[in-house]
Amino acid sequence: MRENLKRFVWGLVLALACVFPQGVFASIDTIAVDVGISVFKTTPIGIVPFEERPGIDWIEERPHQILTRDANLSGRFDVVASEKFNLALFSRSKAKHYMTGKVEPTADGRLAVDCYLYVSQSKTLLLGERYTVPQKELRRAMHAFFDKVIYQLWGERGVASTRIAYVSKIDGVKQVVVSDYDGFHRSQITRDSTISMMPVWTRGNKGLVYVNFKTNRPRLYTKNFGRPEKPLFEQFDQTYSPAVNPVNGELLFSSSKDGKTDLYLGNMETGKARKFAYLKSNQTSPAWSPYATEVLFTSDRGGGPQIFVMGKDGSDLRRVTFMGRYNERASWSPEGDRIAYTSMDNGKMNIYTCALDGSDIVQLTNNAGNNEHPSWSPDGKLIAFSSNRSGTYQIYIMRKDGSNVTRITQAGENTSPTWSWFYEENKPQPKEGSK
Amino acid sequence: MKNIVKIALISSAACLALVACAKKQQPQTDPAADTAPAAAAGQEAAPAMTQAQADSLAAEQARLEAERLEAERARLEALINQIMSEDVYFDFDRSELTEKAKELLAQVGELLLKEKRFTITIEGHTDARGTEDYNFTLGAKRAMKVKEFLAAYGIENSRMESVSYGKEAPKAQGETEEAYSQNRRANFRVNIKQ
Repeated sequence: MRENLKRFVWGLVLALACVFPQGVFASIDTIAVDVGISVFKTTPIGIVPFEERPGIDWIEERPHQILTRDANLSGRFDVVASEKFNLALFSRSKAKHYMTGKVEPTADGRLAVDCYLYVSQSKTLLLGERYTVPQKELRRAMHAFFDKVIYQLWGERGVASTRIAYVSKIDGVKQVVVSDYDGFHRSQITRDSTISMMPVWTRGNKGLVYVNFKTNRPRLYTKNFGRPEKPLFEQFDQTYSPAVNPVNGELLFSSSKDGKTDLYLGNMETGKARKFAYLKSNQTSPAWSPYATEVLFTSDRGGGPQIFVMGKDGSDLRRVTFMGRYNERASWSPEGDRIAYTSMDNGKMNIYTCALDGSDIVQLTNNAGNNEHPSWSPDGKLIAFSSNRSGTYQIYIMRKDGSNVTRITQAGENTSPTWSWFYEENKPQPKEGSK
Repeated sequence: MKNIVKIALISSAACLALVACAKKQQPQTDPAADTAPAAAAGQEAAPAMTQAQADSLAAEQARLEAERLEAERARLEALINQIMSEDVYFDFDRSELTEKAKELLAQVGELLLKEKRFTITIEGHTDARGTEDYNFTLGAKRAMKVKEFLAAYGIENSRMESVSYGKEAPKAQGETEEAYSQNRRANFRVNIKQ
């Protein structure tokens, strides 16, 4: 109750705060606005610019700038920036650790980057890594180091080396694109004259499943990166809303036939699929629980869309959302305890989370255009979504409590972000002692 | 997109008309063939004149035939355009047909009853609000309501196909109620059975 009151008061404060600085949303590539009360336990961490040997012609951000952005985005750290090692500052700010390094040009024009994680008090080296890369790959090298830092300090995997698939309007046509989680290294995946949309990642991040309209109807296709596209489940009329089973890779999807929409469960290799649930209502937007034991979906049995959950075998069907008339497209947090979904009120879309029994509803976005399509980061700390708060639809990342909203796309129109899984090949190996 | 469809339809209508023309030319050439021997038997004095007359007659017939084809093509095109412009509108998040929608659909039904060669694709659309996923199901429901109405009107199900475009193919741009109401619709694409 007190929690609710607190939230309400904060809501008021924020509603007021949101009224004036429209410019905040337009500011590019910076932490834009805090919404909601932060429930994050963030750890202060010092970041010191890398020592630089002369002869580097910088075209990219410097290593410490990339690390600073990663730390700010991660939802795990507060950055204590300092031009050089400053024990007084780090102690005062409770930054028990700091990151820094050295960078020098190599004879063949690449960069040799040494990255270090130190204990502030004792200057003990906890982690040291060397990357020798062309400058355009520096960002990814720093992401890799940053994820190692998270593993070292938290014992968990970070998301700096993950990617996001989304839909981008290119020459007026929606195409599926993929970028690093921070919006850099974007590459176009589909090149059709017809709409492509609803991308989701196949297991192991080998490729995507998405919808294309080349047969004048929504139909699912899959494409492994660098391979040709393959149509899926052609025995069905109109297919969309793909959801990849995180355990065995099977695909749940919606198919509409004669005005009725049902969920189907199919194997992408064999092309076989069966009806998932025999319900009178229409069902769409399926989402798997982290271990694929249960499924969230939207049903219109009450007239408008509401979120339901049931077991993988169709058992134990129950309704999750009761507030409001339009609750849609739920996704399950990787930690399993909450769902994120989109709700429409007065024609505006906003993102909420709630517990699996529908209690403890938290509104994450408010008073900033439409906010849609929440997608959890694989570590469950962050949510990517699309919003037209700046005038056009762009992709944003926020912490799971709605704070620290950061825009990661800048131009055109970008929607429907879907976060990749962890990259298994990037899994940090536990180290024996420090290097 | 719509233009391409339109051009395709017009050209297919033209093809059809040509086929029809090819069939009907047979009886029309007969009188011409008859007049030639008659002229040869009766007046050998002016074969050139007869030939010229026959030529002009044939030309005249070809002109009339072209005009008839053009008229038929124009008529089909007008019908197709009429059907394609008969958009049926819906209320927000609803798929029930309004009274106005039923009136429009009755007109479309009449046309389809007369023109048996027409088959249609019914496209269901939604406005820009809401999720892509749910709007596909909503568009599917709308297209189905239209199909059901026309089926009740006597149009064979085999001549109708329904498809949902969700919110992906808006007719009007913008975030106003006016644009939204234009986009909550079902419309038709017409094909001609060969």
